[in-house]
Amino acid sequence: MTLPLFLAAAQGAAQPGIVETFGLETKYIIMQVVSFLIVLGVLYKFGIKPVTATMEERNRKIEAGIRHAEEMQAKLAATQAESAAIVKQAHGEAARIVDDARKSAKEFLDKQTQEATAKANDLIAKAQQATQLEHRRMLAEARAEVARLVVTTTERVLARKLTDADRAAYNDAATRELTSV
Amino acid sequence: MASGKKQSQQFARQLLELSLVDGAVSPEHVAGVLAYLERTRPANALRVLRAYQRLVTSAIARGQAVVEHAGSINDRALADIAAAMSRRYGRSITGTARRNDALLAGLRVRVGDDVYESSVAGQLAQLAAAV
Repeated sequence: MTLPLFLAAAQGAAQPGIVETFGLETKYIIMQVVSFLIVLGVLYKFGIKPVTATMEERNRKIEAGIRHAEEMQAKLAATQAESAAIVKQAHGEAARIVDDARKSAKEFLDKQTQEATAKANDLIAKAQQATQLEHRRMLAEARAEVARLVVTTTERVLARKLTDADRAAYNDAATRELTSV
Repeated sequence: MASGKKQSQQFARQLLELSLVDGAVSPEHVAGVLAYLERTRPANALRVLRAYQRLVTSAIARGQAVVEHAGSINDRALADIAAAMSRRYGRSITGTARRNDALLAGLRVRVGDDVYESSVAGQLAQLAAAV
């Protein structure tokens, strides 16, 4: 505001009146300019510059925060996508494990069934063999008992019926048989 | 201990060799061996005597055919059997008759550990075993 007045005063110097009208003096104007510059420098150094630096710093921090938030958001999105992929993979893996477990259970059941059937058949075969063996043993015992009874009865009958002449004749035959050995 | 037993057996066998005449046990030689043992009293005399007795018994049994019979048997049949056994074993074997009615009829001849049988009881036993 002071400078335009000074210029206007300079342009209108020829015309008496303005400087004198307003009472302008050069030394005062210079002093005011110097004072203004000093005040401007002081303000700039201790007021405007720190404020500007503070604002720039704040702006940088804000921008950094925004960038960080954007990065975080991107990371979050990537993490969510990764988590979704992992969950999806886990679901697939779980389904595969369940299928394998079902398949293994079915195979185990089939194997157990086959083994049980084989054991049952084996037991039946052994039981049949035992029955046959018991049958044969009983037949052998019956045959031996019958033979023993026949021999005992024959011995008793012969002991009663054989005469001395019969025994002597048998002894002669036995002598001939034994001497021809 | 085992060595002493083995030596006793060997000594008893030597004494048995001294007791045989033509492969048969001679009573006179046995009496001489016993007199020798009584006079000399060797080590383990009791064990030697037991082994000697066992060997003499076995030798007598080998030289004797025990003919078990049911019913009568004549001396000629006994002599024929003894002769057949002597031929079979290549040594002198005497026959000894022994009655055994369990045979029902027929003969059973025992020479040492060998048994020859031709009797009704034996045939019935074979029949029972075959059935």
